[in-house]
Amino acid sequence: MTVADRFEEEEFAASLSGSALWRLLKLVFNYRRYVTGYLAGVVGLVLMEGTHIYLGKRILDEGVLVGDFARVQNLLLLWGLVSLALALFVALFIFCAGAMGHAINYDLRKTMFGRLQELSLSYYDRTPVGWIMARATSDARRVSELVSFGFLDFFWGAMSVLVFLGFMLALNWRLALVMLLIVPLMVGAALTFQKRILGYWRAVRRLNARLTGAYAEGIQGVRVTKALGREEANLAEFSGLATRMYSASYRAAWLSALFLPVVQVIAALAVSAIIQVGGAQFQQGRMTVGSIQAFIQYIFWMLFPIQEMARVYAQIQQAVASGERIFSLIDATPEIQDQPGAADRVSLRGAIEFAGVNFAYEPGRPVLRDFSLRVAEGETIALVGPTGAGKSTVVNLLCRFYEPQAGAIRIRGRDIREMTLQALHSRIGMVLQAPYLFAGTLRENLRYGQLDATDAEVQAAAELAGAADFIQAFAQGYDTDAGEGGALLSAGQKQLISLARAILARPDIFIMDEATSAVDTVTEAKIQQGMQALLETTTSFVIAHRLSTIRNADRILVIKDGGIAEMGRHEELIQTQGYYYDLYRKQFLAEAGQEADPFFGSRLLHA
Amino acid sequence: MSALPRSLRAQDFNLRLMRDVSTARALYRFIAGYRGLYAAALAALAVAALARAAFAYVIRFFTDEALLAGRYDRILWASLAFLGLAAVAGGLTFWGGRQAARTAEGAVRRLRVFLYDHLQHLSFAYHDRMQTGELIQRASSDVEEVRRLWAEHFTGVARIATLSAMSFLAMLRLHPRLALVSALVIPLAVVVSTLFWTRLARIYNAFQDQEARLSSLLQQNLYGARVVRAFAREAYEVSRFEVANALLHRRGRTMVRFHNIYWPSMDLLLSLQIVGSTLLGAWMAIDGQISPGTYLAFTGLLGVMIGPIRHLGRVFALSAQSLVSFDRIGQIIAERREALDDGDYAPEAAPQGRVRYENVSFAYAEPAGAARPRRRPPGVLRNVTFEAEAGRVIAILGSTGSGKTSLVNLLPRFYDYTEGRILLDGVELTRYPRRLLRRHIGIVQQEPFLFSRSVRDNITYGTDRVCTEAEVTAAAQAANIHDAILSFAQGYDTRVGEQGVTLSGGQRQRLAIARTLLKDPRILILDDATSAVDADTEQSIREALQRLMRGRTTFIIAHRIASVAQADQILVMDAGRILQAGTHAELAAQAGLYRDVFRLQTNLERELAADIQSARTAGARAP
Repeated sequence: MTVADRFEEEEFAASLSGSALWRLLKLVFNYRRYVTGYLAGVVGLVLMEGTHIYLGKRILDEGVLVGDFARVQNLLLLWGLVSLALALFVALFIFCAGAMGHAINYDLRKTMFGRLQELSLSYYDRTPVGWIMARATSDARRVSELVSFGFLDFFWGAMSVLVFLGFMLALNWRLALVMLLIVPLMVGAALTFQKRILGYWRAVRRLNARLTGAYAEGIQGVRVTKALGREEANLAEFSGLATRMYSASYRAAWLSALFLPVVQVIAALAVSAIIQVGGAQFQQGRMTVGSIQAFIQYIFWMLFPIQEMARVYAQIQQAVASGERIFSLIDATPEIQDQPGAADRVSLRGAIEFAGVNFAYEPGRPVLRDFSLRVAEGETIALVGPTGAGKSTVVNLLCRFYEPQAGAIRIRGRDIREMTLQALHSRIGMVLQAPYLFAGTLRENLRYGQLDATDAEVQAAAELAGAADFIQAFAQGYDTDAGEGGALLSAGQKQLISLARAILARPDIFIMDEATSAVDTVTEAKIQQGMQALLETTTSFVIAHRLSTIRNADRILVIKDGGIAEMGRHEELIQTQGYYYDLYRKQFLAEAGQEADPFFGSRLLHA
Repeated sequence: MSALPRSLRAQDFNLRLMRDVSTARALYRFIAGYRGLYAAALAALAVAALARAAFAYVIRFFTDEALLAGRYDRILWASLAFLGLAAVAGGLTFWGGRQAARTAEGAVRRLRVFLYDHLQHLSFAYHDRMQTGELIQRASSDVEEVRRLWAEHFTGVARIATLSAMSFLAMLRLHPRLALVSALVIPLAVVVSTLFWTRLARIYNAFQDQEARLSSLLQQNLYGARVVRAFAREAYEVSRFEVANALLHRRGRTMVRFHNIYWPSMDLLLSLQIVGSTLLGAWMAIDGQISPGTYLAFTGLLGVMIGPIRHLGRVFALSAQSLVSFDRIGQIIAERREALDDGDYAPEAAPQGRVRYENVSFAYAEPAGAARPRRRPPGVLRNVTFEAEAGRVIAILGSTGSGKTSLVNLLPRFYDYTEGRILLDGVELTRYPRRLLRRHIGIVQQEPFLFSRSVRDNITYGTDRVCTEAEVTAAAQAANIHDAILSFAQGYDTRVGEQGVTLSGGQRQRLAIARTLLKDPRILILDDATSAVDADTEQSIREALQRLMRGRTTFIIAHRIASVAQADQILVMDAGRILQAGTHAELAAQAGLYRDVFRLQTNLERELAADIQSARTAGARAP
């Protein structure tokens, strides 16, 4: 994967999926009290706003125009009381919608994180981390915003239009009928317009993602760019992209600038209709000045709600797309699950048996075929073989990170499927070639192996793993920050920490997958010494290229073509003169070359 | 490109001029070329606001002169006047918005291009110091903030301010005393609104910080998924996430509480003003001081004048936030570029490749108050002296942090040495323009960086000329990658990366070798290029590298003796110094680090050789 790819992703649903929308709505119904509160808040708010305008009409008609100041005072008092109620309703709906939005956001994150802990590693093989991150951050946020304030604003907009039309009908049904013709036009125009604009913004977002990708690649590849002297060519390319971005966003922006004026002009049409028709009604004595004024106010007060409706309407499409992606994550089922009645506390000290195991990561491309192996307790097994032959697969299956398609794996005679994953994993110590460290101190990272380990235990483990020396060389010792992903340590140091972490866990089975490949020869020898006692008593699997590591194993397995091609002690395999023998002989025959050969012998000592 | 307005075609404005000036001045310079347009846009918004304020006069005319005066023929005039004003207001709002958009998008396009170019001209030292993610953040979200500053925030302030101001003016004309009384609440509302939104911005920042922490926690969990599984720490991870998640939730609720207080109280405050003003207006109307139409016009203006103030603080807070982004971008712009073309010695012919280091010392400059370095500086150099004849192979051996990479990084002038001098063909390095040096130096790294473009583009990436198909193929063949490329669905047009083909480590390496072959440098640096390769491809990479090294001065960085034994000269480095130098035979004969390590490594080899020998004899004895 290159850097630029990560920033390109479809942000909108191709079409509105009803079921996803329905599931989004159901999220809301989990919070009945908030929903009730906010629906009541909105209805109350809209009614109070309508009443305000109506009271304004009465103040004019019954007070100002007839000269009754006492009436004005009374009505204004009432107006003030309505304001008070209005403020309370505002508080109610803000509280309910806000609290619900954050609660749903919290729920979504929690559900997703929990699910992510259950999913099998095969899910992570298929799914880029960036994709998952986007689901748990921006998508979760977008969805919770939509289902709280989004739905609320839409409801508020619709209610405003309906309630104000109701007030109009009560005031003067003839004029209200005219408005019934114009108002839907306003709403319809606003919605379609907004939806159109969204298409343009979509293009902008896509370009923006590409721009960000170009930046990312430019920054991460800056050393190569400089080394290759590519600055001008890069700039010309980027400049072209930036210009396309300009054209797209300028078009989207000016179309958006058209939105409000269009709605306002339609509203002005409504107002001029009110002036015309209202004037005529006044002439016929069917309408008061105050009523006409109220009509105008109602129209003005509809403008903002209609805008909001249009905004949310455009937003729904986007949020539904987010929702679909979130649901796809939440609905992902772990391929490997605990069986009912699986043992949750086991000892793994005992013989290990692979019986007729078949396995393929992808259908049709088998990695292991009818693989059988019996390992005695305390034995150390080294796995060698060409890349992709299935060395790591053997240990991955033992850890039940993946499930074999056929056959069984037994430890102490018990099928590993009859134990919980938790039980199995907590008794196996695994050290990887590219270990991951967490942000935090070295001590915290080491303790990950055993959460309640004492400082002395931590140090003892570091000692065994050959990590103590470099840790103590740091000014802060064990309290040194590892950096995110262990970024502040070298590859070799990370491997040592990872090794110590596994030692600390005191596992029944020990697995080292190229665990010390980045460690120098001197340190390597030291580690071997330190771990001798541990390896003698603990059943171990070692995948390595270094001869020193492999030679000490009780048994060496050459994994090739889906099965065990050769098996035996080092001397035996050399005698056999098969793959193992060839692998090392080649290194020595290459000696003849006259030119400096950077690869000379590297397989032997390094790889 | 020709469709662009003239102001955009010109790359003439140098954003470097934004350095070392106040934010206000930098803002002014930022929109050079668009100033008139932007001013006109704001003016249009003001006139639109005036037209909307004039609605009130139509209402007054309609009420007093048409309805109450019984002149029903004037109703039509009123409605036409209303439509006319609405058309003017709408048209100007649109025009103003459009020009503001042109300014914002145009100036930001210029910024994007400038920033991209600027970043690729900043030194290695700068990029060492900065976190990649942070720079991407600057270039994407901070630039977006700046766009919004011009497209939304400034126009937003203008919209609110002109709407209030024009309504106030219109009200003043209706009745000065009434206008002044009605404006009483405005200063208070502005202050309360600004205070509130500023305060909320702080809370929002705390919320965002927590969100970032949560993201980082999640990201670590995902990258470390294997570790979490291997140690069965799922429950522990869930509980750790829960703590951070719950805190984020609480911070969110705090924001809700703030809104919950602000909006209702602001509504009440404004309502108080409305009640007071309406009471006064009604009394004056009843008293005959103002006409009913004036009363109506006045109440209509009242809402338009004070309503939008509630949002003013929000736009202020958003502007303040965007200005922070603007300043942060300004900091990047202020960074000094690395000059590519300065240097007085630029021979036409390619250099021979004779390299001489004389007493060279180098230390990484301490970043002034900078953030934590992306990685620890890999070391310094002290009094390094050696000479490499053209076409020879120099191996540099040493442990991590001993200064191997720093040593070769001085050659293309990625960094400048602090003492001593380096000569290329007898001429001091600082006299060569960097561009020229880099054209003649090729680097193959352990994990080569490839770009998400076609295989062909990746191979030709390092050349500044158009390459023929035959050249590309020849380079790929020499690098032993041609056959692999042909096996891809689209051959040389296959895209590298997620949207195309995923390459193995060995394939990436060979692609980088092909890229360097085509570039045809005089000096070659193989930076630990020997690791991270799988067994299947080792032989073919070995061949490719040998072809690449032929006839070029080559520096091989390694930490295994076996990788360097055949070199013409081996430099053994430790803590920034050259401990030993010589050929393998020389070094193996003298006491020192080299011999110690060599013995340790060869003991193993000897044992193995013995094993093989005995196996062979055994095999020979067998029938």
